[in-house]
Amino acid sequence: MNGRWRAFLRLFAVQGAWNYERMLGVGMGYAAEPLLEDLGNADPARHAEAVVRSAEFFNCHPYLAGLALGATVRAEYDLVPGQQIIRLRTALCSPLGALGDQLFWSGVLPALIAAALIAVCFGAGTWVVVAFLLLYNLVRIATGAWSLRTGLAAGASVGQEISRSWLPKAARWIGPAAGFLVGLAIPLVGAWSLQWARDAQVAVAGAVALLGVVLSFRFRYTMTSVRFALGAIALAVVWRWTA
Amino acid sequence: MNTLPVLLVLLLWGTIVGLDVVTFPQSMASRPLVAGTVSGMLIALVTPDVPLNAIFTGMLVGSVLELYALDVLPVGAARYPDYGPATVAAVYAALGWRPEAGLGGATAVGLLTAVLGGWTMQMVRRANAVAIQKKAADLAAGDSGAIRALQLGGIRRDIARSAGVTACGLLLGIVVWPLVPSGTENFRWVSVVAVGGGVAAALGGAIRGAGRTRRLAWVMAGLAGGILLVGLQ
Repeated sequence: MNGRWRAFLRLFAVQGAWNYERMLGVGMGYAAEPLLEDLGNADPARHAEAVVRSAEFFNCHPYLAGLALGATVRAEYDLVPGQQIIRLRTALCSPLGALGDQLFWSGVLPALIAAALIAVCFGAGTWVVVAFLLLYNLVRIATGAWSLRTGLAAGASVGQEISRSWLPKAARWIGPAAGFLVGLAIPLVGAWSLQWARDAQVAVAGAVALLGVVLSFRFRYTMTSVRFALGAIALAVVWRWTA
Repeated sequence: MNTLPVLLVLLLWGTIVGLDVVTFPQSMASRPLVAGTVSGMLIALVTPDVPLNAIFTGMLVGSVLELYALDVLPVGAARYPDYGPATVAAVYAALGWRPEAGLGGATAVGLLTAVLGGWTMQMVRRANAVAIQKKAADLAAGDSGAIRALQLGGIRRDIARSAGVTACGLLLGIVVWPLVPSGTENFRWVSVVAVGGGVAAALGGAIRGAGRTRRLAWVMAGLAGGILLVGLQ
């Protein structure tokens, strides 16, 4: 297995040592190790400096970390000054974080999970879970492979490559689709979960949902959805036991 | 249903999905819909004589907890509930009841376990930072071995965390079981409230996530379409 493959596989655990000090830093250093091996043979002093830099503070979306990893490793081989590589890493944090969050956490993931939920509500069997996993991971693995390849090819000019790529367009496009599918899934899952319920019980569920939404906006920082639900469930238990 | 083979299989599965949430490989096996359905399948596999449909129960509990999980953006430093092991525990808690009666208690078990999971995730992150401080000199010297040790240490900590959270959740499921006589009308009402809470979580999350962008219009369009479809069914 060559260094690029090992680095790609190690990127799946890039958050393995996530912490509040260096965030993804250690995971990036771990993934960079196989890519930097040749540098160790050619220039041991530069290699030691590169290893130090590879594990310093870094944060971005984990699926796009390959872009930063590839770009900084390529810059090390191109003998770009160390300070410039540190600035490159720092500059990549926010855009890669924002793009990845928008594309995956707010886009692909809710869209696909909502589609799977809708399929379940229309009677799909367990295959829908397999289909969700396959499709999601196909997108995720393809994106990860593209990220590392693009980063290694672009080096210090990776920023231009990102802005020219499909990423910003896809991030803009997927948001509305995810919003629509999630909106569609919510009442369907609610109704499917309560298919045994009487009309009065469905009405109560609707009232609880409405109250939960209103309270979560009125008391935004204290009334989380979990706190509301646990409180409501506790009240329901007390009410039914004392009725 | 608290037979040892079921508990052991679910403990293993809960540990795998707990690791999947952040550390490795983030394949989304930890999503409640997946974790719940697979839990049901595993239970059915280990104990084919389960009186109720374990796979359906897993899918049902997973779908309701998925509504809660839709409210969560797993962004970097934020603390968020860990729904992977929580769903495994919730499915276990739901077994043995009729699904409509067990759903409320199972959701409560799931939510409590998820909160515990989020809290322990922060503990692991702090422990990782302490380990890094201890190896600061090696890191400053460019020692690849130190990076490897820190990475593997972090993964080991998360495996232990995931197993611990799953074990606590399963224990909670065992405790909740005898409290509820199966199939009672009273506990259907608790399930009604649990589903209502899930709808509130997903809807609130979708509206907040959309902000005042055009995405909000799409959320509302989807919601209208969903309500229409429910009416037509």
